[in-house]
Order: sequence, then structure tokens, then C-alpha cells
Amino acid sequence: MRAAALLLAVLALPAHAAWEWSAPLTVTSVHGVKIFPHLESANRQGVAVSGDTVGVVWEDNRSGTPQCYLAMKPAAAAAFQPEIPLSAGECYEPVMTALGAGRFVAAWEEAGKVHARVLPGGQALQLSKADAVQITLAAGNGTLYAAWAEQAGRFRRIVVAQLVLHGDALGVKTVIPVEAAMPADEQGWPALAVAGDGSVTVAWEDRRNRHTVPMVSHSRDGRRFAAPARLTDHKSGSAPGGLGAGTGAMRPTLTAWGERGVAAVWLDKRDFLSGYDVYAAFDTGSRRFGKNVRVQDNFGDSIAQWHARIVGDADGRLVALWDDARDGTPDVWLSDWDGEAFGDDVAVPGAAGPGEQSDPLATLDAAGSLHVVWLDRDVTNGTRIRYARAERK
Amino acid sequence: MNLIKMLLAASCLWAGAVLADPPKGYPFVGYDAGLAAARASGKPIFLYFGRYGCAWCDHTNKKTFSDVALKKLYTQNYELVYVDAESGKRLTLPSGERITEAELGVRLQAFATPLFVYLTPQGDKIVQIPGFKTVQDFRDYDRYVRGGHYKQKTLLEFLGSKS
Repeated sequence: MRAAALLLAVLALPAHAAWEWSAPLTVTSVHGVKIFPHLESANRQGVAVSGDTVGVVWEDNRSGTPQCYLAMKPAAAAAFQPEIPLSAGECYEPVMTALGAGRFVAAWEEAGKVHARVLPGGQALQLSKADAVQITLAAGNGTLYAAWAEQAGRFRRIVVAQLVLHGDALGVKTVIPVEAAMPADEQGWPALAVAGDGSVTVAWEDRRNRHTVPMVSHSRDGRRFAAPARLTDHKSGSAPGGLGAGTGAMRPTLTAWGERGVAAVWLDKRDFLSGYDVYAAFDTGSRRFGKNVRVQDNFGDSIAQWHARIVGDADGRLVALWDDARDGTPDVWLSDWDGEAFGDDVAVPGAAGPGEQSDPLATLDAAGSLHVVWLDRDVTNGTRIRYARAERK
Repeated sequence: MNLIKMLLAASCLWAGAVLADPPKGYPFVGYDAGLAAARASGKPIFLYFGRYGCAWCDHTNKKTFSDVALKKLYTQNYELVYVDAESGKRLTLPSGERITEAELGVRLQAFATPLFVYLTPQGDKIVQIPGFKTVQDFRDYDRYVRGGHYKQKTLLEFLGSKS
């Protein structure tokens, strides 16, 4: 009887994890073989859903130099509205988060500083005084945070800012370095999550151990941060003969998850002969991340994974996405967390098959629908940014 | 004089921080500078795709790139470019696309470091070779590239036929 129940549970898993996808839409209105859109950003935070409006931010060179753009689509609309330029000068790695009721905050790097703006409407505000890059945003419990990598002496370090809103105007309430001491080596690519209890977690790439290690810290109030801890449970250390300093791991992403939890994924080269793998770790509310879990299944084991992102929600849904070329060309893959393990890897329809589909961004909306954005690279016709929405069957 | 020495030392430290782990004593430069230099000089590009803290890169640097004659061969005949596999530093591909150094690894489908890529002076890829290689290996690759054999043969065919 127990065996039968177990079998039924196993059989039910794929059905539970299945997603029903909308037909993909093209986000960008301008394409061409010499126009190169990019979705890269700290925490891969380039899509958000506010009320019933989806927003997507990206960078492309249609004007001759890299510029950042936002496109929005109300749920009832059949297509994305024409894009809005965010920046005046060269712009890189834009991100956005939802404020509710169709409003967003977008942030980006421009002229060596980081900026933010409320949309629609709003004016751009320079957030950093010093040179800064790789900004990301997170909101929760009525508080809006930004984090970026800011020049501090020879290296960059991670700072976390609390932002305030007065109508469409943004202000900076506090800017706090995660560590007061000057950085001993480079830090970058921060990820932020505001958990259900209002505490803020920040993860980043850190080279203080003479190789790249994802580190993490948290704060109850956004003003005092705990001493950084390693997100990875793989130790630093030289290979025999005193060679090197450790395997590489990069581009951590975070999401709030469940009642008080935070989940992380990153690219990890602990198996250094098969490229980066996607690894995950969980903080269920203790503000300590536990044992690392490899995300992709065995079919993706011998091939490099890229552009990993994790998205979750307060109801405990958790989905990891990335791209890899296990079927010959890059496709976008996802895996659902079932409470105990990540499920089988599933190719995202419309973001898989012939051609190159990569660089996924994603978010879960209030109803649990999954919104995914990716690059569809075509050397003949130019690269397009594509979008699809999925609901659980 | 002391100030000049201090500034030079600081600039060396800074270069080390930016370039991570290229072999010591070689005039490696960033991607954009190397591509510009190659277009001007007509020399092919030797691109070292390494990773900060990479043990096999360290091994290759100590065991292979320490060879004085190899250093002379590559310094004189190639524009030397170092790319950090995990860096967010920006570079511009020959197509005009701006990507990060880490993203170049995606485009090269890099699965291990070090990865050595030979490029024409225009930035077109000739061949890429992953992992630890010996002094003799790099001499063979040099003959393959500068001898123009890549126009007729794959590297494996060339290596199989070499005397």
C-alpha cells in the first residue's frame, strides 16, 4: 500500500510541476543585425509585474551607443507598448522592481554612476557619489532597497541603500557599505532579497580569497549588516603544489521565498571540467544558508550552464532558470523546487529548439504565474527579446 | 624618484588586480587594446582566457610560460590579450557588439580554463585550445597559425601530419 502511494506521488510530480505557456511575444520594436540587445544585470532583475502590467528593461545599441530601455505590457494588451528610453548617456545593466498598481522603479549604470527612476513618470536620480556599477533593486514590507558595487580605494565594494518614495520622486535615505573596512579585493554583482519578515539579504561575488566566491550578509533593518559568510559550501584552497586558490563561482541571484525564507542560485565551477553548473542554497528564516544543492539534472551535467536565475514567492513556489546547449544550441531551461529537490529540467517552449535562446530573466506574479524573458539570437535577422507567461496546469 | 617608484608599483598592482592571472613578464593587454594593436600591426592575436585563482592557469604559467624562448616567440609575433573568465569588464567584439569578459566565455563555449584562442588580426577565430599545454604544444600551435596551415587543415590534421 505504501509502495503504491509512493509510486502515485512520484507519477504525480511531473504533472504538478508542469507549466502552460502563452505564445511568445517580441518585446523590442527595433531589430537588426547590428543591433545587440542585452539582458545582463546584477541579480538578473530585468522583468517585473506591477498590478497587471509586465515591465522589461534591457540595453541595446540602436542609437549607436549602449542605451537602456523599458517596455511595458498591460495584461489585456496583445503586445508590448513602444519602449521608453531610460538613460541620456551610455547605459548598462538596467534592473527593475515593482511598486504596485502598474508602477515600477528602474535602475541602471550611466556615466560611471548608478541611477534610478520611478516609471511611468518620475525623474532620474543619481544614487552614487563615487563611481559605481552593477546596481540591483528589491522591495518588500513597504521598503525599497538598492545595492551596487562602488569604488572604494583600489577595489569596488558592495553598498546597500534604502530608497524612499515621495509620489514619483525617489530619494536616498541611507547608503551603507556591507562591511565598514575597505575591500581587500574586488567585489561585485550584488543580489538582493527582502524576506517576508522584512529583513534584507545581500549576496555578491567576492575575490578576497584570491578566487571568486559568492558571499552573503543580511540585515534586520538595512542599516547594520552581519559579517559576510560564504554562500558556497565548497572551500577555498590551492591545488596540490600550491597552485591556484580555488574553483570559481559567480553571478549569485537571490529571491525571497515562503514566509521568511531566501533562496539563492549561482554558477559554480567546483566540477571544473564541465563548465559552470547551477548550484542553489536555502535560508529558511534562520539567516544562515545551508548545504549547497546542484540544480540541473544529470542530462545537463557534462555541459556548461549559464545565466542562472532563481525566482520565488511568498506561497513557497520556487523556480530556477538558466540556459545551456545540451541539445546542440543554447536553450532556456527551468527546474521547479518540489520541497525536497529540484525536479527534471524542462525546456521553455518558444525558448528552445533551433537557433540560440539564452539569458533568461524571470519573475513570479502575485497569482503565481511565471513571466520569462530571453534573448533569441539570429545572425541573419538580428537578436530579439522575447517574452512568455506560464501558469501551472 | 621615490614617488615615481611608488606610482609605478601601484600601477603594477592595479594592473594585476584588473588582469587577474596572466603569466608574469608578458605584455598582455585587454581585449579592445589587443584588437586595436593587432589591426595596426597585422600580427595575430593570442588570447589567454583565464580565471582568477585557476590552478591549471597557474600551472601553465609556471611550467610553460616561464620558458624564455617561448616568451620571446609569443611576445614578438602576437598581440597578447588576457581575458578574465569571471570579469564584468566590457569589451567590444569585431561585430561591434559590447559584451563582458565573462560573456565572452559563453560565446566561446568555454568549459574549462585556461583556454587559449588564436585570432586573426581582424579578430576572427582561428582555433581554440583548452587546458594545460607544454612549451612544445605552443610552438606547434604557433607554426599552425603563423604558417597559415589553418587555412587548409584543422589543428588535429596539422598535428597528425607534422614531422
